[in-house]
Amino acid sequence: MTVKISRGFKDFSLSFKKHPITNDLIVLTNESAIKNAVINLIRTRVGEKFFNSSIGTNVNNSIFELQSVAIAIQLENEINQVLKNYEPRIFVNDIRIIFPEDSNEISISIDYDIIGIPATTQQLTTLLKPTRV
Amino acid sequence: MALTQFTNLDYEQIKKSIKDYLRASSNFSDYDFEGSNFSILVDVLAYNTYITAYNTNAVVNEVFLDSAILRENVVSLARNIGYVPKSVNASRMIVTINVILPDNVNPPTIKLKAGLIATATTNDVSYVFSIPEDITTNVVNGVASFSNITLYEGSYAMSAFTVDTTQSSQNYIIENSGVDINTLSVRVRPTVQDYSYDIYKKVDTIVGITTTSNNYLVQEVSGERYQIIFGDGIISKKLENNNYIEASYVITNGIDGNGVKTASFNGIIVDNLETILTGSTASMSIISGSKDGADIESINSIKYYAPRKYAAQSRAVSSQDYETIITEIYPNTESIVAYGGEELSPPQYGKVFIVIKPKSGDTLSQFTKDTILNQLKPYSIAGIVPQIIDMLYLYVELNSSIYYNPALTTDKDALKTNIIDCLNAYVTDSEANGFGGRIKYSKIIGLIDNVSNAVTSNITKIKMRRNLNVVAGKAAQYEICFGNRFHKKLEGYSIKSSGFKISNNNETFYLGDIPSTSNMNMGTVVFFTLDAQNNPVISKNNAGTINYLIGEIRIDSVIIASTVLNDNIIEVEAIPESNDVIGLKDLYLKVDISKSSFEMINDTITSGANISGTQFVTTSSYPNGKYTR
Repeated sequence: MTVKISRGFKDFSLSFKKHPITNDLIVLTNESAIKNAVINLIRTRVGEKFFNSSIGTNVNNSIFELQSVAIAIQLENEINQVLKNYEPRIFVNDIRIIFPEDSNEISISIDYDIIGIPATTQQLTTLLKPTRV
Repeated sequence: MALTQFTNLDYEQIKKSIKDYLRASSNFSDYDFEGSNFSILVDVLAYNTYITAYNTNAVVNEVFLDSAILRENVVSLARNIGYVPKSVNASRMIVTINVILPDNVNPPTIKLKAGLIATATTNDVSYVFSIPEDITTNVVNGVASFSNITLYEGSYAMSAFTVDTTQSSQNYIIENSGVDINTLSVRVRPTVQDYSYDIYKKVDTIVGITTTSNNYLVQEVSGERYQIIFGDGIISKKLENNNYIEASYVITNGIDGNGVKTASFNGIIVDNLETILTGSTASMSIISGSKDGADIESINSIKYYAPRKYAAQSRAVSSQDYETIITEIYPNTESIVAYGGEELSPPQYGKVFIVIKPKSGDTLSQFTKDTILNQLKPYSIAGIVPQIIDMLYLYVELNSSIYYNPALTTDKDALKTNIIDCLNAYVTDSEANGFGGRIKYSKIIGLIDNVSNAVTSNITKIKMRRNLNVVAGKAAQYEICFGNRFHKKLEGYSIKSSGFKISNNNETFYLGDIPSTSNMNMGTVVFFTLDAQNNPVISKNNAGTINYLIGEIRIDSVIIASTVLNDNIIEVEAIPESNDVIGLKDLYLKVDISKSSFEMINDTITSGANISGTQFVTTSSYPNGKYTR
């Protein structure tokens, strides 16, 4: 089996801050660029993208849902689906959805391998919580 | 460089173009991945481009008369070629008002004041009728009569403006919409304190206007309102500072005001000293009920007529010029056709024949015809005599057998009603009705099939009908033109008619035809009666001729005493050679759903009730064998 090696991934940071040394726009590369893309996909609400309602998940909308296994499975499926469809640079190994008790938060952990560049298995954990409680 | 499709209205294509551009020149690589930050930037750029492209497209559409959809823009573009769209037209009622004055009052004249004159209620809707200007009449022996005055459906209103020459561009815009511009009456006073006035007249062209003419032009502006434009001292008289303009008019309901036949007088009558007459008795009699009301000209109509009126150049030369100009001078026109007398057989040179279908009713009164012909005179060229003739209807009747699957509908009657509703909607379309209309057979059968999934098929037969108005009790020759080729049966009786009686004979006769053996396009018309078995018994051979090719029946001189149908009408029907029936020349094509038949038949094969087809009810695709209507 041959592994296709890409020339690397390069994205810019949405903070639009300048690099302290180069004074250029801060650039995200490879693992960090992909990690950022994965978080973007998860946090995109369904219907948010222009003319493409299939991108996104209901994670943001589920933050005040009652904790249940069913919702966790549903979110897991949605995340798996959106990453499979729109993030071809990774291979998802595992997704874990945890509702910390009585906190109105969702903790999402994703283990994935990056396809195309030599990198170790990545683990991404993101916590969604309401801005006002 | 891929950004070549600047006017692309497909968001995905725009996005692809941006990505193609980045692929060639960007330092970044993640724009291809939907989750990346760069993808968000690409989305925003594409969306912005999309909105710009859409706006550009919309703006460019509004620049051309053909593609503009906003009324304000269509009107503005039409204005550029000198076209003023027709305003809403108030329904007109002609009345006579007789006034009996008290014994002790005897002014030389009395005046009917402008404003509300009569009120009426029709179908639980109230209407008011007004006049836009005062009407004065003489008093003779204590009695006065306002004879045959025209009342306009709607409310009387007035707008006033003071001329301010310090303003560089002062506009005189009537703030009300729904104004019948034909009722607009404009007076200009020297100042607001000075009650003397000049009457200004509306003109449509600047031909014949001098520097001192008291004229104004009118143009439609936004919101279906109108602007009054006065002269500049070169073309028509220029207004002076502090002149006071009074514009009175009627705000009307347009076509809704038609059909009022009773009304009660509510006007104000004053004597020659402007004192309201008390104790007088006024009675109003209606000479003709309200009619000729019309809505404001539609956008489609403006688009159609503006370039044609420009082409006509205010001269009625070609037949199309007549059609354009008459719709201008008679806004109640629903459909019109004009053709030269040279097209007739035999030709009538030097004449133009005009047939008008009014929006309300089927025919024009003689008064309306005369009015139109008078208004047509300034446009007509010398030596050509326009003549308005009455409408001739060519009816089309459908005979439809509709197969349906009972498993897919619970109510076959409701299905039938749906089908009839759909056909009614289709036949009100101008494509099927009107001069030069055409029945598209395939559309009709397709329409029936598509009304519901429950309709499995239909067999629809078409026949044409003309109503022959007979002159009862008098010898007359008749000619009935269908304008479409007849389907000829070799054994004859291709035409069918309703019954009629001939003088000095008590039997009921019908029209029939026998094809000629020598000329395949011709035949003779016969009168026949029916025997006990409903078979024809010819009573009169050679009663006339029939031309199957051009669809024409001529009946020689005969005295028809009466008809079986009311109103001295004989209905004559024929099968058209082509199912696509056209309205030729002056024939106004009309699909007569009320006289059409629709039979619902259970499709036992499709429903599965009788797959072998042994109980399937077949329907003939050919006409029935009856000899009469």
